[in-house]
Amino acid sequence: MAKKTTYRPKLTKRRLKEWGWGYLFILPWVVGVSIFFLYAMVQSLQFSFYNLLLSGGIQLQPLANPFDNFASVFVKEINFPVTLANFAIGLVLQLPIIIAFSLIIALLLNSKIRARSFFRMIFFLPVIIATGPVMSQLTAQGVASVPMVSQNTLLTVLSGLPEFIYEPINNLFSQLILILWNSGIQILIFLAGLQKVPSTLYEAAKIDGASGWESFWKITLPTVRPMILLNSIYTIVTLATGGTNEIIELIYSVTYAATKGYSYGAAMSWIYTLIVGVILLIAFLLLREKEPKHQDEAVYRRDVEAAKTLAKLQAKNARHRRQRQRREGRAAK
Amino acid sequence: MAVGGTKVNPKKFHRNQIPLYLYLIPIAVFMGAPIVYIINHAFKPMDELFAFPPRFFVTHPSLDNFCNLFKTTAGSTIPISRYIFNSLIVCVAVVVLSILISTMAGFALSKMKFRLKGPIFEVNNLALMFVATAVTIPRYLTINTIGILDTYWAHILPLVAMPVCLFLIKQFIDQVPDSLLEAAQLEGASAWTIYRKVVMPLTKPAIATGAILAFQAVWTNTETSSLFTSAEGIRTLPFYMNTLTAVGTVQGQGMAAAAALIMFIPNLVLFIIMQSSVMNTMAYSGMK
Repeated sequence: MAKKTTYRPKLTKRRLKEWGWGYLFILPWVVGVSIFFLYAMVQSLQFSFYNLLLSGGIQLQPLANPFDNFASVFVKEINFPVTLANFAIGLVLQLPIIIAFSLIIALLLNSKIRARSFFRMIFFLPVIIATGPVMSQLTAQGVASVPMVSQNTLLTVLSGLPEFIYEPINNLFSQLILILWNSGIQILIFLAGLQKVPSTLYEAAKIDGASGWESFWKITLPTVRPMILLNSIYTIVTLATGGTNEIIELIYSVTYAATKGYSYGAAMSWIYTLIVGVILLIAFLLLREKEPKHQDEAVYRRDVEAAKTLAKLQAKNARHRRQRQRREGRAAK
Repeated sequence: MAVGGTKVNPKKFHRNQIPLYLYLIPIAVFMGAPIVYIINHAFKPMDELFAFPPRFFVTHPSLDNFCNLFKTTAGSTIPISRYIFNSLIVCVAVVVLSILISTMAGFALSKMKFRLKGPIFEVNNLALMFVATAVTIPRYLTINTIGILDTYWAHILPLVAMPVCLFLIKQFIDQVPDSLLEAAQLEGASAWTIYRKVVMPLTKPAIATGAILAFQAVWTNTETSSLFTSAEGIRTLPFYMNTLTAVGTVQGQGMAAAAALIMFIPNLVLFIIMQSSVMNTMAYSGMK
């Protein structure tokens, strides 16, 4: 923790009373996580510097160099860097699609249509088919790819591109439906965000002459912005740790392989976790809301924004009025 | 279905809704496909299960797969009801406990002041990203040390602190305005009352989503059965279904399809019960 700026209050009796509730509420979670996650993770880190033998109890065999496991992940495992790169490219392509798709669906599902609840159910249903086998069977049967797209001229045009660009795009199209099936939670999160926008705001904007497009950019998007960050992080995490992820499969197979063993798998998991952490950090820095330093600044910025929008609308209205007058004038002649 | 009870549907059909349907219906067909497939697949007779090219819809539905499944279960030494009972206990315990723990922790992390708040949330984020395979052996060692191998606790405890649940719920509680909590505090409500009467009702959608996620994580989990238990009588239904269908025989394939449908139905029922609170609560909560 940075010492220079953070204000660290002393633990007085009054504060203890105030903080006590916080500690009390967080305690069960801290206990659960420390025993089953934190302790287990620390132990796996420890094991990754040794060679773990499971014959007759746990034995830790020291390595020649403590970092041997980590080094051999990059040296021996040729698949690892390649799979990792594919995962990263796939993520960059899939994430915007999932976010945009779920936002559009959430907008549609939030509009006033009949059988809205029914549609909401349909879009969330794929989420509850968590069982992997069903999904993989469906993919095997080709239900998950869009038949029109795979034979489309678009792909033939794209096939002229170099392999490393063409391959991810081709993958993307073959998994398109699968991606859409995975966006149920994201749709739900967006819906909850959209329902918080009071309808009076839209009505007021409409009276002032804002088009649907304008009110989307000025009202809807700012409101769901925290949800976009939340959804992006959720999507990255599920894609990174889900059962269909190739790196997870690789780690799983390595961990239970006789020649490589648990320690090697643990080293690989730690490397992978660090990389996913970096990806999440980048996403967070790109998408976070810049918090204004003072409340006044926020109010000021909002007022400036409102004034700008109002001026634009007034200009537009005036232009329309002039056009109308001109047209009427011409008609009168 | 629960659809009829909710008030969100507009009463009348209006012409300018048509374009919306033009978008929604085709996508809805794709989204509904997996469910239709599961149901169709379970009723396929042998020749259709292995037909090439594979068919999506069943042409001659039969109950063969279910009959085979029940015949096999009838022959086993431990009755299937035992596995169902085990699964029920474990599921209910995990869902209730994990929601309770996550909402309490989420409330504390989001709205309360105390030292170490930041680091605790960072730990949660780290746990969120970590590869589950890498912690299985340490977890086994821990469970062995505590001495809960071969008990229900071995199924329940490792799954109770769900980082995804806490993350979702905390982000939702962040959206609850502070002024609401301050108002409650001024009226003399204690932290526990605020948690129960203000925070819980306002974050219902997140809680329902978390409950569905937690239920799925437990209901389909075979890992705790195969790693942390050795006695057959304490294992859960998905593990049993896996052993039945993993035989690799031709019959096994059919039974797997039937088992997939049976395992899917509780998910569906839970979702239908939860869906109105998942989908609609925000609209009536009075939050701006």
